[in-house]
Formats: sequence, structure tokens, C-alpha cells
Amino acid sequence: MIETQRINWFLVVSLLIFPLIAYFHLTVGQQEISLTDFKNAIFAYDSTNTAQLLAKEFRFPRLIMACVAGAGLSLAGMLMQTLFNNPLAGPYVLGINSGASLMVAISLLTGIQFFGTNLGLISSALIGAFAAGMLMMTVVGFLKSQVSLLLVGLMFGSFTSAIVSFLEISSKAEQLKSFTLWSMGSLQNVLLEQIPLILLLFVIGIILSALIVKPLNLLVLGENAASLLGIKIQQTRIIILIITALFTGLITAFCGPIAFVGLAVPNITRILLKTQNHFYLIAGNLLIGSAFLVLCDILIQVVESEIQLPINVLTSLIGAPFVIFVLIRKMK
Amino acid sequence: MIHFKQAEIGYKNPLLKVTDLTLEAGNVYALVGRNGSGKSTFLRTITGQTTLLAGEISINSVSIKNANAIDKSKTIAFVESKFDGIDFLTVANYLALGRAPYTNTLGRLNQADWDFVNQVANEIGIETFLQKETLSLSDGERQLCAIARAIVQETPVLLLDEPSAFLDYANKQILVDKLLQIASEKQKCIVFSTHDLDLCIENKIEFIALKNKSLQKASGLSKLELISLLETKS
Repeated sequence: MIETQRINWFLVVSLLIFPLIAYFHLTVGQQEISLTDFKNAIFAYDSTNTAQLLAKEFRFPRLIMACVAGAGLSLAGMLMQTLFNNPLAGPYVLGINSGASLMVAISLLTGIQFFGTNLGLISSALIGAFAAGMLMMTVVGFLKSQVSLLLVGLMFGSFTSAIVSFLEISSKAEQLKSFTLWSMGSLQNVLLEQIPLILLLFVIGIILSALIVKPLNLLVLGENAASLLGIKIQQTRIIILIITALFTGLITAFCGPIAFVGLAVPNITRILLKTQNHFYLIAGNLLIGSAFLVLCDILIQVVESEIQLPINVLTSLIGAPFVIFVLIRKMK
Repeated sequence: MIHFKQAEIGYKNPLLKVTDLTLEAGNVYALVGRNGSGKSTFLRTITGQTTLLAGEISINSVSIKNANAIDKSKTIAFVESKFDGIDFLTVANYLALGRAPYTNTLGRLNQADWDFVNQVANEIGIETFLQKETLSLSDGERQLCAIARAIVQETPVLLLDEPSAFLDYANKQILVDKLLQIASEKQKCIVFSTHDLDLCIENKIEFIALKNKSLQKASGLSKLELISLLETKS
């Protein structure tokens, strides 16, 4: 019971700090925008006012995208770590991102008309993520060690990037440009009118996750033990696959590949909350994940005038050493 | 309690055939046999993780083939040979997972559930480390926790796969004492596989011996007699 109180306090305090981080994210950037402009942009929008236009068309979508991407990737990572019973799992290292990227590459570089539209981009990323997830779930049955799953994921990543390179060589300059821009990864690509769709899919993912809290809590004991406690393993796997593919595909389509967030944040959350209750872990991952990516994006915008830092580069800089930290902690 | 009739057990190919065997509630049975004689497969067939090849196994007159996942989880509890502990999982929360067959979709325990968890912890003698993390315990303490978790599941049948394999001598004795105590107090049918023949003989535990692809009950044998029984070639 003391545990629950401590976690509740932690979550309440982070909920209070979060708006501050979010506000800081909104204000950072070359053009200064006042709090009144932000308020007006929501409640009394005047499109002739540049500050308000910037706020509404750029700052808000970017903040929302940062939150959704951070929270979604973290939640997807948590689900995979619990399912595979492996703290090193995550949408990026297991190649779910790569699957999505490959499909996006195919759609952008081969220029097939159906894939050209925005909805086409999302759906191809979703298909790619889902296929990669299916592949990983099949492969995991043949593997004994936690590290070998990671190796298979990385091999799959190399394999898809080889195909992507091949497609790049054989594509037209125009197509190559749009793909290269996408693959750099940015939180600014999203348009205001796309936000409702993104939020809808995001909320569906969260609700689905909340529905499998009990199976998740039991999966911590391993699949065998969980099934002997009455959990339908196959059904749980499929739900997890759907949620992970949904989040990873959606986020990859809009922001490009973002590495390591889905691996690092779930581990950080567990260490901070010190619990295996997935009800709290879901809440924690959503909060810490969005705060993490918003902070990363603040850093990117602060140094923007000096260097153009793609989001993927920054998260890799932080995330890769973290993987080594987890490995050492786990293997000793 | 558990009844076997013409049951063929194995993984793809039959490993052993149990023509007629009844295991009673309130008893502890030690499942013995050479490596590869099918002890684990025998236990896993009862839990349903390995499919029964032919014949019939029934628990309280209900065939295991007809039981769904929830029914099974309310009938059989299973303890693995080793519980390694889990990051950030306290003993109390670990035991609480044993209530899963009885909780709702969200898996929340009510006061009665928690009372039962505490009661079982007291009976097994692990009440002092309920708030400790499972990773911080010794192998012996963790094995007791694993058994407590299985008892919290409140099932008439308790199966254990080599529960004494990783324990020192004192802990092996504690384990057997607890199993005997639970079987008689809660009228459970307990089956555990083991290679600790001395331990079982000293505690007068009834044997189920696997050999030559068949199975027989044995009790009151000396160690020598038992070993020669297990060694016989067909």
C-alpha cells in the first residue's frame, strides 16, 4: 500500500511539472510568442497575426507530435519488453521501425500513386510495422537467449536498409529528396489538420493497452506461468502486436525513424516507479515518454541556429549508451 | 481426485502409458525416475501444456480435455524448479498474482483476496519479507514464495517440477515439511518430481516410480530397493 502511495505521488508531481516543460517547448524557437498569443491562437484565432499563425500551425502541432511520439514509442517498447520478457526489446531494436521504414521507402521511392497520398504513407508504414512485428513474433519461438532476439532485430534492420539503399540508387532525384527529408526524422512534418487523426489512433492504442493490464502483469512471470493462471496468450500477443504496429507505424510515418526512445524510457520508468504493475507503468511511460521527447526537441531547437540536429541522431546519442548500461546491469 | 485411465503420455511419441492410477486429495506424491523417463512430460500433460496422446485424465471426474483456461487455473497450480525473482516485484505483489483466476479484467484484488494472501504468507512462514523484492531473497526463500504463490491460487491440485533441485539440505527439509502440512491441512493433492530419494524415504512420502515406459506406486521401500526398481532395464 505504501508502494501505491509513492507511485501516485510521483505521477501527480510529474503531471504538475509536465505543463511547464510543454510551455517551455512552445516558447523556444526563433520567433518569440507571448502567452496571450498562444491563448488567442486557441480561443480567438486571428490568421493575420503572424505570432498566432505560427503558434497554431507550427508550435502546437509540433508539441502534440512530440508528446504522441514519445508516449507512443515508450508504450510500444514497454509492451514488447513485457511480452518478450526482455528489457532490451523495443520497436527500434526489434526492427518494427525498419519494417515501417522499408514500406515508406517503397512508397516514396517507387512513386506508386496509391502510396503518394498522406493516408497512403500512414497505411504503408502500418503494414510494414505489422509485418515486421509478425516476423519477430515468429522468430522469437526459435530463440533461447534474450540477446539473440536483439541480434535478429538488428540483422533485419541491416537487411531492410540494404533494400532501401538499393531503392535509393534506382530512384529519381525528386523522389529521393522527399525520402531523404523524411528519413532525417522531424517532429515538424505534421500538419494541423492531421492532428485529429493522430490523436484518435493514439487514444485507441492507449485504451487497448489499458484493457490488457492483467495479462501484462501476469506475463512478467513468463508465458507458461501466465497461461497456467488463465491468460489467453495467443490473444494477448495479437493485441500487443496491433498496438505496437499502430504506434510505431503512425509515428514512423509522420516523424521518420526515432531510435531508442522505446527501449530507454520503459526501463527508466520501471527504475523510477519501482513496480511491475502495468496500470502504473502505462501511466508512467506515457508521462515520462512524452516529457523525454519534448525535452529532446527543446534541445534540438535551442541549438538549431548552430547545427541542424535530426531527432533520430539525438535520441541515438542518448539511447545507445543506455542500452549498454542495461546490458551491464542485466548480465553481471 | 486425479484419475488416469489408459493415458498415453509423451511428446509426439508415447513416452509412458498409465493404465490405471488414482491420486488422492490430502496426499503428497514424489514422482521419481531416471533422467528422460518422462517426469516433466507427465506433469505438463496434467496441466495441459503437453497434449494427452490417448486415453483419459480427469480431475474430480472432469476430463482435462473439457476444461477451459480459467477452469484449469482454478484446479491446478504449478511450481517450476526455480524462481529467479523479478525486478521491482515485491513478494506481496508476486503472491497477489496467484489470485488472477478470481479477479476481474483489471486484475484488482479486493480486501478478501489480500487477507487470503496474508494468511498464506503466515502459513508458509514468509510474512516477514512480504514487502521485500523477490530479487533480494535467497534461493530457498524464493522457492517458498513460489509455493506460497501457488497456494494463493487456491487449487485442489498442486504440481511441482523438481522443487528441491536448487535447495540446500535444510531448505529441502523445510520444503517437504510445508508440502506435507499443506496437503493435510488444505486437503490438496500434491505431486512433485524429485531426485532426492533419501529425503522422501525419511519423510515417508509415497513414490510414483516411472520406468520402462510405465508407472507404479511404491511405498515403504528402502533406498536400495527403490534404486534397483528404477534401474531395471526392460
